[in-house]
This record gives sequence, C-alpha cells and structure tokens, in this order.
Amino acid sequence: MKDFKDKFIDEANELIQNLEKALLALEENPSDAEIIEKIFRIMHSLKGEGSMFGFDTISKFTHNIENIYDLIRNKKLKVNTDILDVTLASVDILRALLNENEDDTNLKNSITNINNKIQNILTPVNALENSVNQKNISIVKGVERNQQTRTYYISFKPKKDVLKSGSNPLFLVDDLYSLGDCKVFPHFDSVPDINDINASDCYVYWDIFIATNKGINAIIDVFIFIDDLSKIEIRKISEINLFNITSFLGIITETVKSQKHINIDKLNDLTHELEIIFEEDKKKEKNIYRSEKITESKISSIRVSAKKIDTLINRVSELITIQAHLSLFTKQHQNDELEAVTEEIEKISGSLRDDIFSIRLIPLETSLTRFYRLVRELSHSLKKNIVLKTEGTETELDKNILEGLTEPLMHILRNSIDHGIEDPETRIKSGKPEQGTITLKAFYSGTNIFIQIIDDGAGIDVKKIKQIAITKGLIEKNSNLKKQEILNLIFKSGFTTSETVTNISGRGVGMDVVKQKIKEIRGEVDVESTLGKGTTITIKLPLTLSIIDGLLTKIEDTMFIIPISSIEKIYAVEHSKLINTFNNVVTIENTQFPFFYLRKEFDLPETSLKLEQLIIVNYKNNNIGLVVDYVIGEYQAVLKSLGSFFKNNEFISGSSILGDGTVALVLDTSKIISQFSNYNKKFNSTTV
Amino acid sequence: MHEETSTTKTMADLNSYLVFQIGNEFFSTNVGKILGIQEMVKITKVPKTPNYIIGVINLRGNVLPVIDTRIKFGLKETEFTVNTCIVVMEANIDNNTVQIGALVDSVNSVIEIEKGDILPPPNIGGKFQNEFINGMIKDDDKFIILLNIDKIFSSTELINIKEIVENQNKPESKTKNKTENKK
Repeated sequence: MKDFKDKFIDEANELIQNLEKALLALEENPSDAEIIEKIFRIMHSLKGEGSMFGFDTISKFTHNIENIYDLIRNKKLKVNTDILDVTLASVDILRALLNENEDDTNLKNSITNINNKIQNILTPVNALENSVNQKNISIVKGVERNQQTRTYYISFKPKKDVLKSGSNPLFLVDDLYSLGDCKVFPHFDSVPDINDINASDCYVYWDIFIATNKGINAIIDVFIFIDDLSKIEIRKISEINLFNITSFLGIITETVKSQKHINIDKLNDLTHELEIIFEEDKKKEKNIYRSEKITESKISSIRVSAKKIDTLINRVSELITIQAHLSLFTKQHQNDELEAVTEEIEKISGSLRDDIFSIRLIPLETSLTRFYRLVRELSHSLKKNIVLKTEGTETELDKNILEGLTEPLMHILRNSIDHGIEDPETRIKSGKPEQGTITLKAFYSGTNIFIQIIDDGAGIDVKKIKQIAITKGLIEKNSNLKKQEILNLIFKSGFTTSETVTNISGRGVGMDVVKQKIKEIRGEVDVESTLGKGTTITIKLPLTLSIIDGLLTKIEDTMFIIPISSIEKIYAVEHSKLINTFNNVVTIENTQFPFFYLRKEFDLPETSLKLEQLIIVNYKNNNIGLVVDYVIGEYQAVLKSLGSFFKNNEFISGSSILGDGTVALVLDTSKIISQFSNYNKKFNSTTV
Repeated sequence: MHEETSTTKTMADLNSYLVFQIGNEFFSTNVGKILGIQEMVKITKVPKTPNYIIGVINLRGNVLPVIDTRIKFGLKETEFTVNTCIVVMEANIDNNTVQIGALVDSVNSVIEIEKGDILPPPNIGGKFQNEFINGMIKDDDKFIILLNIDKIFSSTELINIKEIVENQNKPESKTKNKTENKK
C-alpha cells in the first residue's frame, strides 16, 4: 500500500504542477474553455485518486475547488482574480497536504480559511441557481433540478372497480416502460376462486421497479387519471440506475418471490448494498481504463524513479573507472587482440556514458511555473507591474543541478522584483514603460550552461553599495575598488541594501546565500549593472556534476586533476626560473604570468626536478600559472566526493579513481587561486 | 554496501570485539562498528589537512579517508610493517554515517566479552578525554581499551590516550617521564 501511496504522491505532485501551470495560463486567457476543462479534469482526478488511496483531506478539499470550476465550466461563474488567487493558494495547500503532516494546526487553519473563501465564491452562485430552479419548478411542473437517472419503487394497487372508469392498468404499466428501464412484478394472490370472479373487477396488483431520468413527477403523471381509484406508493430507492448493476434484477426477483410483498425497510437495505457494489464496479472500470491509458503512453515514455537513474549513473561511473584500469593494463602488455578489444570497450562505455547522462537532463522550462507564480504574486503584493519573459528554456540541465538551482533563482528573482524594478510612477517619471520586464535567459556556451536574470529596473547604485560596505565594515574606508569589485560586494555575507526589512527580501541573508548555493552545484555567479538601466545576474554552470574532462598531473607522489575547461596553456619551465622570483611572477614569451608554486602551497618538501610544468589557467579573465611536477595527460575523471571529512578543503572539488586504483584529487583552480592569494596577500596588486 | 549495513544492525548488540594494537597499547571496538580490514595500499595524501589525516584510499571504488590513529592518540609514530593495516569502521558523525579507515599497527583477535565483564572507564577527574572510552577489559595481564568510535572521529582534536592508559596502569606503576604529553 505504501508503494501505491508513494506513487499517488508522485502523480499528485505532477498533477498539482500541471494545475499550477494551467492556472497561470488561465490568467492570460480567462475564457479559454480548454484550459478550464483541463483544470477541472486535474481537480477531478486528484479528488478521485485521493479518496482511492485514503487521502481524504485532499479529496474533500479538492471537491470544493472542483465545484468552482464545474460552475465555470458550465458558464455559471466567470473566472476572476479572486478565484485565481483562491485556487493558487489551494494549490499550495494541496502540495502541503501531500508532503506534510495534515494534522499540522497551521495547515488546518489555512484550509479552513481557504474553504471559507471558496464558500464565499460559491454561495452567491448557488443562491442564484436555486432561485432559478424555483422559477423553473413553478413554470414547468415536474422538471427536477438534476436530470439524473434514479431508481424508484412503485407499489400499484388499483381498486377493484378501476376498470369501470375505463382505464386499463396494463396501459399504465406500458406507459411506465416508456420512461426508462422497468421491471414489473404482477401479483395474483388476491385473485379469487374462478367461481367468485367478477369479470369487471380488478384483482391484480403490481410491484414495479423503474429507473428513469424524467423525475418522480413523470411517474406521478402516469397515474394521474386513476389517482383516486388506486393505492399508489412511489418511492425513490436510489440516486443511481440500479439496472446497471448486473446482479440487481436477480436479487430483486428473488426478494419479491420469497417475500410476496415488498417491505420498504428491507428494500432500502438492499439498495444500499447494491449501491456499494455499484461504486466498486465503477472503481474497477476506472482501473481498467487507467491501465489502458498507461499501456498506451508506455510506447513513448516510461516513468522511472530518479533513484534508479542515479544508481545507473554510479554503475556507469564504475564501468568507466574499470575501463581506465583495462586501458592501462593494455598499454603495459603488448597484445594486438587485447588492444582491439580494449578500444571497443572504450568506445562503448563512452557512448553509454553520454546516453545515461542525457537521461538525467531536464529542460529548464519544467521548473518555470513557480517563477511565474512568484513574479505574479510578488508584483501584486508590491503593487508593481512586472512581466517575466523567458528565453532558451528548452536548455537542458542535469536534474541535480536544476534542483540546486531553483532556490537561488527564486532569491534572485525576489531581489529583482523587490529592489530592482521600480514602482509604476517612478518608471513613468524616468521615461520607462510602466510595465517592468524581467528576462530569464538560458543558453549553452562551450562546456557550460549560462543562465541570466535580466531586469530593466533601477540598477545597482555603486556608491550606495560602497557606503553600506564601509558602514558594515566589509571594506576599508579609503579602499580603491573598481566598479566590478564593488558590485561583487553584494555576494558578501551580511550585506543587504534594503533599508527596511520586508518579508520578501532583505533579511540579511541575501546574495551570499545565492552564491553559496550555486557553489554547491559547482557554478559561479556574477553581477553586472548599469544605474537606471537595470541589472543582469549571470550564473555559469557545469554541464554535469559527475564526469569532467581533466588534465592528469603529478606533484610529489600525489596525482591531481585540473579541469581542462579552465586550462589555457602549458609551459615547461626550468626550476631555477620559478624558485628565484620576486613576487611570484615568471616571464615567458614576453608575457608575465603570476603563478602559484603548488608544491610550496601544499607544504611539500623541495624538489630536485630541473624542469617543472606551468599550467596557465583562466581566473576571472586573467591568466595565472599553477606549477606542478609532471603533466601526465588528458583524463576523463569520474568525480567522487571526498566526503564530509574534507569539507574544509575547498580547493579540492572531489576525487577520482585512476586506472591503477589510486585516488587522484580534482583541483578547483578558482578556489586555489582565491584561497592562496588571500592566504599570502601577494596578488592584491596583480589581480583585479 | 546494503548488505553490510543490514548486518551491522544485527551485529550491533553482539558481544564480539575486535582487538588491535597501536604502539604498545591494545584497543578494541565492537565488531558491529567494523566493516572490514584492509591491507595497506597506496594512500593519496590530501594537502592542507591536519596531520592525523593521512589521506584517502580507494576502497572498492569508494573514496575512504584514512586516519593515523597513532598521531590522533598522541602515540609515538612507528614504522610500517607487514602487520600494519587499515581497519574500516563506520562512525556516526553529526547524525551521518561516515566510513573511516583507521591505520593500526596490527590486528590481533576477535574476543567475546559479556557486558558485565567490561570495567568502567578510568576516572581521571572528569576530564573530557573520558568520553572517548566506553570501558576497559582486563585480558590476562593486559588492559584493552574499548573505544567510542563515534566520539573519537567526531572530534577534530588530538586525543591523549596515553594519559588514560597510564592512569589505569598506575597501581602497577612503571613510572614514565611525562614530558611526552604534547597536544
């Protein structure tokens, strides 16, 4: 059962996400019948499945919202902001109900709150509806509000002299057949002995079961002419058509035969049982329908748990590691046949790796809905007019990166809405269109993915930033910083430009958290801004988190991997040139390169090597050298975390197991440079 | 890996203890905490780490940090011999289960001890060092120290095991110069 529940939660989460998307679309096109239908359908399946899996609160809650959309669907209610607000708030509650404990008092309160709002929306409509119905009733007698097929029981006992009035009860019974499904049980038990029969008297009476959608009045109408000539009892026994239940006729025949006379109480019990059977049948039918649907969609895609894919990726990573081992072995043993096989395996495992990584790629657009909602709700509450535009949302990201990205993106957007975009009056005054625009843009470049959040707001006031940084003691009063450096101060911990603390942003945790979160997914974040024109925040992300193309190098007896993407050039340099330098700058081909002598930075002993390798890496548009003992070659590194034990070693981004089984350390060049330059304060003048 | 953790759970209450030697001292820990014993392999040194962390090794495709228990316990460094090995343990650090390799001079035996036979840890004036020790076992003429793996590896400090050991041995008192006590 737990499995089913989990599956339901999975599915429901997806339904809720679709619902959210549809609601936002509905706001754009409030009269789009297709969208309304879609919303109604989602609500309906949430309700149905929820009750099926025992999520009664969800089921009940959705039922209320479903009512609203049923009315909209039937054109009895028009979509308005109130309804959208309530439904969107309901979406949040549904999500909370799914993922949290439903006994939570806060949650309960908000449910009651929303339910009240829903009732507020529904009440006027229902009242109107009722009054319309009453009118209808007075005009056309006998039309019931809901023309649903119901089952009735009729006990028809004509008086003896009914035939004298010229009516034939049999015709009446025939009339009943025209109303719907009908089962008639005639009773002859009061027919006297043949000698006592009066031919003009009626001795027969009937028990009749009828299912009709014409309403009880239609039945009454049938008997209208012999009303006073017979004893007629009509009772509704079920809200559904019991004739649809295959066992109904059998059971009813049995009952009538055995009891001779229908006992109404017994009948009610019976129909109740039948109704239960009916519900179950319906569920079964639904299940059959569902499984058919699933088989159909299986052709194009299957749903696999992310965990399984992660396991698969781990397996492939292990395969790549073992393949590296094999390649090394092959190199050491001259054997043509072995070499051919190894080459094949290399090729296959390479493409296997690419395939498996593409499985985990998810387009950015799948997580856009919440951004749209954020912009919608925040701009409403701040009384700003803002539109979110997106570009390149088909760009695919690794699932894990995408997950890690959502929170920082929300934060950046919040900042843009709260601090970036001005209120409409200010915008008009400064000659901008009243509506502010935030653009979310994603694109590939090289081995990276870039995501930009561009707003056309007020921009960042560099002077103000500097002032705040000075008062907060983040920089010296007379420090001479370039514009870019000042802008980067916003990523410092404890920095916030907002003078008032709002509940939107400005809680003191700000862009530094964004930077930290993006760091966790091995990304970088940068800011550009023009005062009065707007701000652009650029996030640079790796394509994948688990395999990188690296350069295998060696210092002392430890292997280090440097990501190829950051390497510009490699020079072999004499030891003497590196060791006797002023300020750690070496001149090669008339270019000066500041460098870090890693052997020394890592507290390793002096070397007797005559020639060392200077690896030039790019650091914030500067070329900086890192000195290692040897360069061994290119290496495809499967990244493994070093674990919590080494969490303080920021400049090592992970490790990788080499072909011979030893562990190599993967260096994060930016962090090496920033850490060691802060460490010995050598490069304050040479780096920007 | 899954099999190992499931066996760990059932073994946690066992009375089996692995005895290993670091320097001249004998230590022990419940087998439920031990995942395996690994012979010495090439250890990759990680720069800029405290000196008791030697580095990392490849343990069947996973990266395992290795601790030099001799430095961690403030004992004298010894030469690597054929008996030197890495005991792979599972420690609970900040509610996370972490696998750690502990470098020991030799692994001696697995012994069965009833709970009642465990002596309380030596009382050395409520010093914090006490929390690293679950108790002592007297085996013939030697004392075996039962280690609290979770506490030991959660601490980033060096642990002066010597002090505890000497305190225990005091009655038999072989007086040693205490200048060795360094942090």
